[in-house]
Amino acid sequence: MTIALDIFLRLAVWLLLAPLLPGIINKVKAWVAGRRGPPVLQLYFDLAKLWRKGVVLSTAVSPMHILGPAMAWVAIIAAALLLPVGPAGASLSFRGDALLFVYLLAFARFCIALAALDTGSAFEGMGVAREVSYAVLAEAAIITALLTLCVQSGSVSLATMLAPSAGAGAALLAAGLFGVLLAENCRVPFDDPNTHLELTMIHEVMVLDHSGPPLAAILHGASLKLLIFAVLLTEAVLPLGKLSLLQAIGALVALVFVVAIVIGLVESLLARLAFRRVPLLLTTAFLFCLFALLVAWKGGMP
Amino acid sequence: MTPGWLLLIAGVGLVTGIFSAFKSPRAWLAVTLVGAVAAFAAAVWMLASGAVWDWQPDFVIGGEMLHLQLDGISAFFLVLLSVLGGAGTLYSSEYWNDKNHPASAPPGRAWWNGLLLNMGFVLLCANGLHFLIVWEIFTVCAYFLVSLERQRREARAAGWLYLAASHVAMICLFAFFALLAARTGSWELGPMREHSGLASLFWLALVGFGIKAGIFPLHIWLPSAHANAPSHVSAIMSGMAIKMGIYGLVRFTGWLPAPDSAGWVVATLGVISAVLGVAFALGQHDLKRLLAYHSVENIGIILIGLGFAMIAASHGNPVWGQLALAGALLHVWNHGLFKALLFLGAGSVLHATGTREMSRLGGLWRAMPWTASLFALGATAITGLPPLNGFVSEWLIYLGLFDAVSAHGPAAYAAICAAVFLGVTGALALACFVKVCGVVFLGLPRGKIAEHVHECGWRMRLPMLVLGAACVAIGLAPILFWPALATAAATWQPALAGANILPSAPLVALGAFHLALAALVILAAIFLWRRVQCNGVSRAGTWDCGYAAPTPRMQYTAGSFAGIITGWFAWILRPEQHAHLPKEIFPARSDFAEHTPETVLESVIEPAGSLVMRVSAAVRRLQHGRVQSYIFYLLLGLAALAILAVMGGAK
Repeated sequence: MTIALDIFLRLAVWLLLAPLLPGIINKVKAWVAGRRGPPVLQLYFDLAKLWRKGVVLSTAVSPMHILGPAMAWVAIIAAALLLPVGPAGASLSFRGDALLFVYLLAFARFCIALAALDTGSAFEGMGVAREVSYAVLAEAAIITALLTLCVQSGSVSLATMLAPSAGAGAALLAAGLFGVLLAENCRVPFDDPNTHLELTMIHEVMVLDHSGPPLAAILHGASLKLLIFAVLLTEAVLPLGKLSLLQAIGALVALVFVVAIVIGLVESLLARLAFRRVPLLLTTAFLFCLFALLVAWKGGMP
Repeated sequence: MTPGWLLLIAGVGLVTGIFSAFKSPRAWLAVTLVGAVAAFAAAVWMLASGAVWDWQPDFVIGGEMLHLQLDGISAFFLVLLSVLGGAGTLYSSEYWNDKNHPASAPPGRAWWNGLLLNMGFVLLCANGLHFLIVWEIFTVCAYFLVSLERQRREARAAGWLYLAASHVAMICLFAFFALLAARTGSWELGPMREHSGLASLFWLALVGFGIKAGIFPLHIWLPSAHANAPSHVSAIMSGMAIKMGIYGLVRFTGWLPAPDSAGWVVATLGVISAVLGVAFALGQHDLKRLLAYHSVENIGIILIGLGFAMIAASHGNPVWGQLALAGALLHVWNHGLFKALLFLGAGSVLHATGTREMSRLGGLWRAMPWTASLFALGATAITGLPPLNGFVSEWLIYLGLFDAVSAHGPAAYAAICAAVFLGVTGALALACFVKVCGVVFLGLPRGKIAEHVHECGWRMRLPMLVLGAACVAIGLAPILFWPALATAAATWQPALAGANILPSAPLVALGAFHLALAALVILAAIFLWRRVQCNGVSRAGTWDCGYAAPTPRMQYTAGSFAGIITGWFAWILRPEQHAHLPKEIFPARSDFAEHTPETVLESVIEPAGSLVMRVSAAVRRLQHGRVQSYIFYLLLGLAALAILAVMGGAK
């Protein structure tokens, strides 16, 4: 019973807090640009509106166009439930759940990609092709990051992998994971979430033909994924498992907030990279994770 | 009934099938299915009870006593053989029926039964000579099935290549078994791990079985054979026949001692096969050829697991080796199931549209909802995504690799590389299957072919449903299949008997998570679907950026989709591009075509072959039939001998 309550509470927190992050990022961007910007809660309003709206479906689409976003959303939530929160641990935890976490996010990508290709549009085709191609390099980086955490903690379960301090390689790991975060969530410099040029986008062009509740599911899932990566980055760097629960939550919230501000600053100060440079940047993120692994490896040598 | 009787029923069923294949297709279907069910029952019996069935009658073939044995490893592979054999049998009764293929259907049925029967015998034979005999018959049966459509040039060429490659493998196996028999003094097979003089024979077995399994540089025969065979044959070839190579490797690494470097070599070959197999798959435009390259990839994944298990076996069997072995063995089943499912799905597409060219298809989900959904299920499974079976086996291998890393043992560096490349392989496979499902089944029809298609009948649908259900079952309840894995692992290494990996690989928790995930995915899908219906749906054309006359030909093609990744792998794929790009102010017709060749075959084997032919042609000038010249050669020879004798005499 307590487990069910625990899962329910965490789920509520994850689902309710997720749309806040894009709001903060947009506020930071507006502040740097000297604008007032949309309210922090803008995404909540958007989601509520989309949820009530009717749907315009392309004449080409199959049921996958609607089922895909639903399946992806569930997979992202399941991945969120595997992440621990400081000393409180995760609500679901077993040996090997770290790999399940990575593959749940891959499953979400698979569903969204199929839902996008469903429209038959060349724009969606381009977006999906870019998304799945760059994910190859991001996957290498994230597996390396997990190996680093595994070497540090001697465990393959996220709850214990993320508990100890990241040790000497923390800065390297943070840089690598931050690169993965930007790539996986389609932020500048990999992608520009604000652009209106279909030809130059990844994520936004994949959802061009979605509308109404399925679009709400996609947008909410995307914000949840951003929060997941921000929490993962924070916990991989800070030894939250060694603090008391309140301290840990305070530190977690503070650092996730810092991550959001940094994303906002990056988006304000950097331009989007040319697509042919994206693999280089992702390879750099992979190398950061690899060097973190080597540091952890040497540090762990008896 | 004991396994012996069940196997007898299976054998009798398959043999009667050979004879009834020409007269009565219905009788053939019935007896072959009975045979498959009996073989399945025998194998499950063995795996459940753990009792080895051993039969040595006083019956001599080729001077050797017949010896059949059904132990953990044979039974493990026999389960897969009987499931895929049964599914393919039912499928072919509609797919390759007498009405559409009056000339080739009856012999096709006979060769099919011959193939199943002899693969079964390979699994059962415990005598080296008999193993070679049935292995050769099974290879030849497969040749006739691959080239069943003899009127097509490509099918003949594919069959010929397969036959040639198989016989290179056969030469290695002849050498392997003959040297084994010479060194042990008997053709009898069995555990001989303490006989350390046999270790070097492993390399012969690796090449011989590796060609059959389609390990990367040895895979040259595989893509064209799988692509040009009828689809039920592709399914059994990819699902089972190449697993016979894996069977051989598992069998003889278990029975014989292996050199110290064997595990490292196998794991390295596994990594190369996995990454390059999927890279080549991404470059393909032919649906079945693409699936064939994924077989190379999955064989690579199996070999990663097997390689690390072998490394572990020479370092005192730590738990990570057991995890890798369990993952490799389970992946044998999984790959058999989902690859057969995908080939049968591709067969339905081919049956309905008459083309394997992906860029001429599109939007097939409307006419073929069953095929499309089942193909998508198979694609999710082969990509290794939760909650299906592909993830369970890859997860076990990953756990083995991660534990090998955190153990700081001798295999740690290799495990880091293998884990990263396994992740890359998974992401590449995802890209490839998004491409296949999207281009073939989603979107709009790209040409006239895809407009008049029909769904396949129940005899083609039912086998796909069974295979799909098996994929789901292993994904949702992996713990049910653990006893079979444990039996097979204990047969491979008796030291592993009683070993329990469940504390380090909680299959129960994973299964429960998968079950919950599947239930929630379905619930959420229904919920969102109802919400959409309730909010109201209006239809419009796909957004095309304001372009006035969009056509289905503007859709992204398979080649353009994979372009980014094939660009990264251009150093090995070496795609051939033919482009007439638009020029000047009023451009004339322009076109672009890209083709990924089988690089190893076309850039290595064929040049080497033509060099041999050129040298032979040059040497042949000496042999022209003019008597005068031969007399001249004789005189030259005599003179040379005389000079030698004189010089020798001077000493």
